[in-house]
Amino acid sequence: MSDIKERSPNQLMLFGIIGGLLGIYLTYLLPLAGEITGGKIEEVLNTIAPVAGALGAICAVMWGADAVRRVAKYGLGTGVPSIGQIAMGMGIIAAMFGLAIVQTNILAGPIVALVTASIIGFIIGWFAQNVIKMKIPVMIRCMTEIAASGTLIIIGFSAAVAGNFEFANIVELVFDNGVMLAVFWVGAVAMLHPFNACLGPDEKQKRLLYLAGSTGAITMAVIGIAAIMTLGASGVLTLVLGIVLWVIFYKKFWDEVYNDASCVVGTGLIPKMEA
Amino acid sequence: MVAIDPALLTNILLIGLSGTLICLAVHFIPVGGAPAAMAQATGIGTGTVELAAGSGLVGLITASYMYAYEPLADIPLVMAAGAMGSMVMLASTMFAGSLIYAYGVAVPFASAQVKKDPITGDRQDTYISKGTQGQGLPTICYVSGVVGAALGGAGGGLIYFVLMDLYKPYLALTSAFAVAGVFTMGVMYVNSVIPSYGVGGTIEGIHDPKFRRVVGKDVITSFFVSILCGLLAVLIAGGMSV
Repeated sequence: MSDIKERSPNQLMLFGIIGGLLGIYLTYLLPLAGEITGGKIEEVLNTIAPVAGALGAICAVMWGADAVRRVAKYGLGTGVPSIGQIAMGMGIIAAMFGLAIVQTNILAGPIVALVTASIIGFIIGWFAQNVIKMKIPVMIRCMTEIAASGTLIIIGFSAAVAGNFEFANIVELVFDNGVMLAVFWVGAVAMLHPFNACLGPDEKQKRLLYLAGSTGAITMAVIGIAAIMTLGASGVLTLVLGIVLWVIFYKKFWDEVYNDASCVVGTGLIPKMEA
Repeated sequence: MVAIDPALLTNILLIGLSGTLICLAVHFIPVGGAPAAMAQATGIGTGTVELAAGSGLVGLITASYMYAYEPLADIPLVMAAGAMGSMVMLASTMFAGSLIYAYGVAVPFASAQVKKDPITGDRQDTYISKGTQGQGLPTICYVSGVVGAALGGAGGGLIYFVLMDLYKPYLALTSAFAVAGVFTMGVMYVNSVIPSYGVGGTIEGIHDPKFRRVVGKDVITSFFVSILCGLLAVLIAGGMSV
């Protein structure tokens, strides 16, 4: 299948890390820029800032979905969902650690979380490969990537709900009201569903990435509903943009499915009586 | 940063221990995966993670209920509450599953891994349909599953108790509940996926030969990973103390 052009793992990793971090940091930097300009622009920037977090998380979802694809291709024996859940398990531990440990140096938080997640992922991957002996050559690298993208997804969507990624703020607006559980579960499904749905002999990366975009976008819409509760106007923007992006990505996925199918026919209803 | 003192080291060790308990628990639960869902293998017809999470999270709810409403609750009481919740949850899951296997699918319960059920002594091999790995939930699987749920629930209760003690001084009580609960959930997921990779997706319970083969390396992996989680948990408390 070498004639199909695929995005390389490194390309997607850069896309996920840079896109994810950029989105997450914009939630913090846009209000800062607004403060300098002041006036009407400040209001606008404050409203759109949290949306950037969710957009960053979508980049991380696409990266994570591709990493899941690469490792789950080997057959884990436990189904694809297990890897999405371990990703979020590692991600949430790293995210809480990274955001809390930096205390007042808020800006360092996401990067510390990313590094911590990579270390946890590397250790679990190493154990899976060398102690449990799973014999999957890409295990260590993919576990590291999956954990790192999991933490970016959690921080990104949390920032979209809380407005920024300050730990005290996230505890108040994301943990206390239980939105964290939605971030955890819907985020995990966004990451594991694309490969779980597309796997099979004719699986293609392009189709999977479009589906990942659409699951990420629908997660953004769900997060938008939560953000309406906490932030008001920004939440509406997240919800609407999430739905729009979902429609776009889903249409692209739909087109890919039609492209790859040999033909699409209507079979009609099953006849009621045996002929 | 946090100064290293014996109490913190104990906390890290306790979190490591509870993660290991959760990992051990998964090995006891009769997980059949997709083949069991088609009544072609012994066990409950779903994945390890789903079962461990389902019973573990119910255990977490009962443990936190005990912690919140019984002011004198200490570690054994919270662990027992967690174990109770998990056991009830998994026992009812297995009971409902058994009803469907017996009256819906109509298969006799039999295990392919042992010749005689270690508890009842009933012969198994004659009841296995051709081409399958056994069906349904024989007595040994049921008992093993309940024991596993007790271990998992106790592990979840223990980690929750330790984390509450760590975070209570720094956060409002409701926030401490939320943060400790979510962190516990994270550790629980990591520790239920690791053994499911070890057993390769399906295991019948304590009588399965696979149990002896994989339990050692899974427990070692889980212990190290949980110790790391414990270290991070303690450092988070240090980060909050500004």
